Amino acid sequence: MQNRLGSLSIAWTKIASMALLAVVTAAAQTIYRAPRTGDGKPNLNGIWQAMNTADWDIQAHAAAAGPVASLAADFAIPPGIGVVEGNEIPYLPAMADKKKQNFANRFKDDPEVKCYLPGVPRATYMPYPFQIVQSAKTILISYEYDGAVRSINMGKPTPAPVDSWMGWSYGHWEGETLVVDVTGLNNKTWFDRAGNFHSDQLHVVERYTPRSPDVLMYEATIEDPKVFSRPWKISMPLYRHVEKNAQLLEFKCVEFAEELLYGNLRKKPAGGK
Amino acid sequence: MKKLILAVAAAALSFSVAAPLWAHHSFAAEFDPSKPVKLTGTVTEMEWINPHSWIHIDVKGPDGKVTNWMVEGGSPNALLRRGFTKASLPAGAEIVIEGYQAKDGSNRANGRDITFADGRKLFLGSTGTGSPDDKSEK
Amino acid sequence: MSNRFFQIASATALAAVVGIVVLNPAPIAAQTPSTKLLAAKKEGAREKASAVPHTPNGKPDLSGYYTNASAVPLERPKDLGSKEFFTKAEADAYAAKIATKREVVAPGTYGDVHYNMAQFGLEKGQSKIPESIRTSLIIGPEGRVPPMLPAAQARAAARQAANRGHEFDGPEHRGLGEQCLLWPNEGPPMLPEGYNSNLQITQGEGYVAITQEMIHDTRIIPTDGRPHLPSNVRQWLGDSRGHWEGDTLVVDTTNFSDRTAFRGSSENLHVVERFTRTDADTVKYEFTVSDPSTWEKSWSGEVLMSKIDGPIFEYACSEGNYGMRNNLSGARADDAKKAAQK
Repeated sequence: MQNRLGSLSIAWTKIASMALLAVVTAAAQTIYRAPRTGDGKPNLNGIWQAMNTADWDIQAHAAAAGPVASLAADFAIPPGIGVVEGNEIPYLPAMADKKKQNFANRFKDDPEVKCYLPGVPRATYMPYPFQIVQSAKTILISYEYDGAVRSINMGKPTPAPVDSWMGWSYGHWEGETLVVDVTGLNNKTWFDRAGNFHSDQLHVVERYTPRSPDVLMYEATIEDPKVFSRPWKISMPLYRHVEKNAQLLEFKCVEFAEELLYGNLRKKPAGGK
Repeated sequence: MKKLILAVAAAALSFSVAAPLWAHHSFAAEFDPSKPVKLTGTVTEMEWINPHSWIHIDVKGPDGKVTNWMVEGGSPNALLRRGFTKASLPAGAEIVIEGYQAKDGSNRANGRDITFADGRKLFLGSTGTGSPDDKSEK
Repeated sequence: MSNRFFQIASATALAAVVGIVVLNPAPIAAQTPSTKLLAAKKEGAREKASAVPHTPNGKPDLSGYYTNASAVPLERPKDLGSKEFFTKAEADAYAAKIATKREVVAPGTYGDVHYNMAQFGLEKGQSKIPESIRTSLIIGPEGRVPPMLPAAQARAAARQAANRGHEFDGPEHRGLGEQCLLWPNEGPPMLPEGYNSNLQITQGEGYVAITQEMIHDTRIIPTDGRPHLPSNVRQWLGDSRGHWEGDTLVVDTTNFSDRTAFRGSSENLHVVERFTRTDADTVKYEFTVSDPSTWEKSWSGEVLMSKIDGPIFEYACSEGNYGMRNNLSGARADDAKKAAQK
């Protein structure tokens, strides 16, 4: 009897300490406390980059041949396990065809091909770094791709007066998380090179949560009643560029798109009409 | 931005030594000063974009046929700073445009002067300085 | 006993969670003070702020939105000779003249082919212009850009000659502004524009970011003393490095592309800028331009930047560049007309 009670007590202690460990570990995993800026906020300053192939296709996808045969393996489409939670994008039935059409014409119709601004959230997972410069009243996010830039206003939200490519962003802190509410996005951007699209009713809520000194967890909830039947979410880690003297360089791709955009209006050589 | 003069419009130097602090492009290359137009139409959409805004209007011809024109305006940013929004020129508004038609003959015009059908200036009207050049005093 | 242990453990974990959350200070809802026009100073209605804002790490805080519009021309009008400063009355009269200046244009001429700027609030006098009593942005007795070296003149002349008669052949013949590649106000040095002459400075740890409204380019300037990029990396806006000299941010920019061609400059262009907060509403911006392949000596200027209410609105350029298409299309129509007349 004594032994049974004793072993029962030991068993319960083991379970209890495992439970304590689980609770404490869970607490530690969900709440990493980032260093603070001078005004007491989690410090997100730095150069960050996603490390995935979401820009190719935010859903899970296998590798595939690229659009230019002579560029072969250099410009083939890399695979990806996807960043969409549940891997499903809930298009309204009437919108499914548009996605198929976009996909079929993606190497012509993708705004990225023309070096157009990428919008939100696509700017976050373009295959180029971006930099967060954090002051008390505004948090600037400057993207290497085409010098895209967003200024996140940390004050009281106002409605967007017009639509824009990079949207109208207001931010606030929820504990360790920077929450950014983005409205005023125009309907001209895509979510990826696979033709996933939205309307001008797009509403994005981003969450940037430091996971460790050099990793941010990024989530974006996407809502667009014109295109999707319900809100859906993407998530991914963002990794800090820790190399010495990391720096954003210019990727002013407008000049690379000139021939594509205007080549057909070029003066024909003498002899032609 | 200073207004253009004929000589500069014709020269349109790419790498000017005395680079002017203005004129990112020449309107006189887009539109034909010998093709003035006056359009009355209903706004279908205003693009509040840069470098220039564009107002799309449905114009009913004398034969009753409706054609869609696009009319070039200025950068909207100064208007946004003053509190204008996309609601300030909604679809359905009736406006009158005086300007010049595109050189390539398409239904495009430069909005030299834009008013509402009732004569009110579109956005800011005149600066009220009473300058003799200010056509709003007409 | 074991149950109690479990309860204590849970409670401790919970307390730890709660404790961490509570430690975060509540966000401070700071409001931007409303900006008053400099004209209010004349009536003595406002006192200058005595304290220049600082960041928590002790540096002057340059963060904010500014206009660098100016009634002052870059170069001094020749008739003013070596007069570097107006009297206050002369300056006011000059600024008023600039604000109401309108060119006389006759209908049916090229000059009339323009939208009405006043309707869109784009005339100079319709925006805030920081007051200045200077006669030119370029400082010193000459107040003008120094003469170009002969080789530089030849370089510029060759470019112009190559483009003459080809101005509408293709996009690359139209100029960097119309191509939405680079605008003259961007620099560095950053110079006033006729409208939308605004910029945003965001100061974070170890960096100062400057975003100009037109055409949304951002320079992010590290202040940690790192060297410039390797010399084979050339950029349209160069490569900027900053450091503090007392309360002045000094920014050194090299590594320009030769295609930047700032007033005919070569890739050896070198710009030094100095930002000094003179009061809560004003930043004095000084610049020195040198290029041993272009000008016989360096030249310097000063622009006052005055605080404005934000935000800066998006100026996406290439995305809305109907103008480039329309210009080329119009030129092709002209070509066709000429060909048909032959």
